[in-house]
Amino acid sequence: MDAASGRTLALPEDASAHGHRIDALLATNHRLEGLLALVVLGWLALAVWRFHKARRAAADGGTRRSRTLVLALALVTFGVVDGTLFVRSLGYVDEVLWNFEVPVKHPDTVRLEVNARQWTWEARYAGEDGRFGTADDVVTWSDVRVPVGVPVWVQLSSTDVVHGLALPNFRVKLDAVPGRVNQTWFQAAREGTWEVACYQHCGTSHYKMRGTLTVMAPEAYRAWLREASRQATRAYDAADSAAHWGWAWKEAP
Amino acid sequence: MKALLSTDHKVVARAYLWAGLGFLGVGGLMAMLIRWQWGWPGRPVPGLGWALPESGGALTPPAYTGLFTMHGLVMVFFAITPLLIGALGHFVIPLAVGARGMAFPRLSAWSFRVFAAGGALVLVSFGVRLGTASAGWTSYPPLSAAHVFTPGVGQTLVMVGVVCAAVSSFLGAVNFVVTVVRCRAPGMGWGRLPLTVWGLFFTSVLNLLFVPVVAVATGLVLMDRVVGTRFFMAGAAVTGGGGDPLLYQHLFWMFGHPEVYILILPAWGMVGDFVAFFSRKRAHGYRGTVVAMGAVTGLSGLVYAHHLFTSGMAPMMGRAFMTLTLIISLPAMVMFLNWLMTVWRGSVRLTVPMVAALGTMVVFGLGGLSGLALGAVATDIPLHGTMWVVGHFHLTMAAASFLAVFAGLYFWFPKMFGRHLHTGLAMGHVVSSAVLFVAVFGGQLMAGYAGQLRRLYDPYQYTFLKHLLSLNQWTSVAAFALGSAQLLFVVNLVWTLRRGRVAEANPWQVGTLEWTCAPSPPPEDNYAEVPEVLRGPHELSQPEVYERLGRDWIGQAEALPEESKASTPEAQPALGGAG
Repeated sequence: MDAASGRTLALPEDASAHGHRIDALLATNHRLEGLLALVVLGWLALAVWRFHKARRAAADGGTRRSRTLVLALALVTFGVVDGTLFVRSLGYVDEVLWNFEVPVKHPDTVRLEVNARQWTWEARYAGEDGRFGTADDVVTWSDVRVPVGVPVWVQLSSTDVVHGLALPNFRVKLDAVPGRVNQTWFQAAREGTWEVACYQHCGTSHYKMRGTLTVMAPEAYRAWLREASRQATRAYDAADSAAHWGWAWKEAP
Repeated sequence: MKALLSTDHKVVARAYLWAGLGFLGVGGLMAMLIRWQWGWPGRPVPGLGWALPESGGALTPPAYTGLFTMHGLVMVFFAITPLLIGALGHFVIPLAVGARGMAFPRLSAWSFRVFAAGGALVLVSFGVRLGTASAGWTSYPPLSAAHVFTPGVGQTLVMVGVVCAAVSSFLGAVNFVVTVVRCRAPGMGWGRLPLTVWGLFFTSVLNLLFVPVVAVATGLVLMDRVVGTRFFMAGAAVTGGGGDPLLYQHLFWMFGHPEVYILILPAWGMVGDFVAFFSRKRAHGYRGTVVAMGAVTGLSGLVYAHHLFTSGMAPMMGRAFMTLTLIISLPAMVMFLNWLMTVWRGSVRLTVPMVAALGTMVVFGLGGLSGLALGAVATDIPLHGTMWVVGHFHLTMAAASFLAVFAGLYFWFPKMFGRHLHTGLAMGHVVSSAVLFVAVFGGQLMAGYAGQLRRLYDPYQYTFLKHLLSLNQWTSVAAFALGSAQLLFVVNLVWTLRRGRVAEANPWQVGTLEWTCAPSPPPEDNYAEVPEVLRGPHELSQPEVYERLGRDWIGQAEALPEESKASTPEAQPALGGAG
């Protein structure tokens, strides 16, 4: 066993500003589930042990009381376990996952178009002029760069088959479906290099559809984008249709 | 050959049994190969040099994609479905309701023939150039629908095979529903049906409703693939207007989610019956259990889109499907607690079917719990598409259905073949399988929680997954042990069919019709005389019966001796199993 195997039972390290809410909910949920499993399976084991070959068996199929007990137990368990899960999941969904007000309102939001294709992640930045589909668009292959501490608003599509964009360290998963543009957003909490994975089977080399996500300091990011945009303008080829997969940014998701 | 011609439900059931067991073996071997790849990626598989000469027996990415695709398809459509529904359903339903046969005997025969044709196509697909299907068992287009993405005829053959399996399931379902509704023996009220029959009945209703959906979805993919339509094609695969790949995902999961209930409802029914039989008492809350199973059946089609939480669905839909998905856990909990309460205050006999039923409860309980986090949008995101999902649905669909199949098989084997399987071997098989199921699928849950994505040929391409190698190796070792444990069953089967002990008339001492009114194995018409049903399926440990007959069980169609009626002042036990 290597040194890292101590982390087998842990989620991938969280590097996002909001992922801790999911992680905390999962932790609560697993404690409740573990407790439930312990109680129910313990009860089952106890019942089997205690009543193994018991001389007499009850002749009835339950009394009104025992049936009420079952219903009450089920409702209480349901209320506690499913209830926590539901309420807190809804909170996350409403405040983070499907709340696009955050990237819309933040002045420094980074807009990113991602196009999945067998077996690479193409990422497009608007470049210096701030508009997509122009000569200074920056396009990278399986190499996504974002600044730390600001919302990153991703619009995602696919050229060929269905892919799944996964940023395990940012608690982001979203399908890339040909013919439609899906949207999500996330915010990095610290700098570092992380992995981009594909989670939908997309053909033979699905397992190699790996990219890197580099979270940079804001000034380093700006410098990189400026330089990349300059080079892109110089290398722009109007006839290269395969390079022009971008779309006009869809403002309201 | 006889199986293809006969219209006797018992012969059809046996044909399904052999076919299902065969495919279970094929699917299981494929699972072993997948586990090998995850434990020792790219290393030659011992003994596989003949099949993959170019790589010296090592799995290549195309071979691997074919394997996990076919493992899923074979297990769902050609192993669990035929074993639970085709074999046990065809065998048990007419006998348990007191019918002379299925409502439509020739439809039974046709359902098997169509199934066999589908199975043959699947087997043929392994031999064609470029190999068998490889688009995943879910066959999402455009991957499955365009030759540029999945070349070769294998994908086409297999999808036709799936349509055959769907047609077969539909024919079987029509037959089961009509048999249960129309062919019950006199006195066999709805409240007197064994829970197994209820489970199979609800399963058949689901098959009737949702199997046509998958047949249509697969049919449309086939048209995209073969004829050049564009129902599900978009992006670079088409020029000009196309269809919508997401439409397929909705259709597929509208079937695919009910399908998990199709595969588990018969198991639930059997568990309900077996815990009652072998706790020697009536099922606790019979009516509540039936209502709970009905509620799950009713809700099953309304929760499907939790498979699409990450598809970019509208937030309104996400919230609605999260709510519905969590609600479905309530009836499941009621049913589970009813099983527990049945064992409580019983007189528990740890026979093989009982141990298998208890094992089913354990793995199903763990499977159900591990599924909760997948039902809520927020917690689904980190776990979606990971081995957590794989571990979860294997515990519920694979481990629970498998143990239930064997609970049923060990229970009805004496009725099917007139011989007893060897108890020690059977017990070893059931217990080791149950323990190893928890080990294997528990290992998958752990790997998934740590982020391992499913279906990766070499998960260790990702640095954040490298540390999971040793966990995966241990899980694979457990899986190989699980595979080897199945030899206990094979040995038992061969030995029993040759020289097994002849079964007594009612070895389990229960009152259901097949054990109390028909010889083992039953003749072509099942019953010399159609039984007249007087009571519920679990009339065990009734004081009155014990007093008058000196045993703790009474046949569903057996009358209490009249003469002793006067001697006992206390009231007759209520008829029917309603509790």
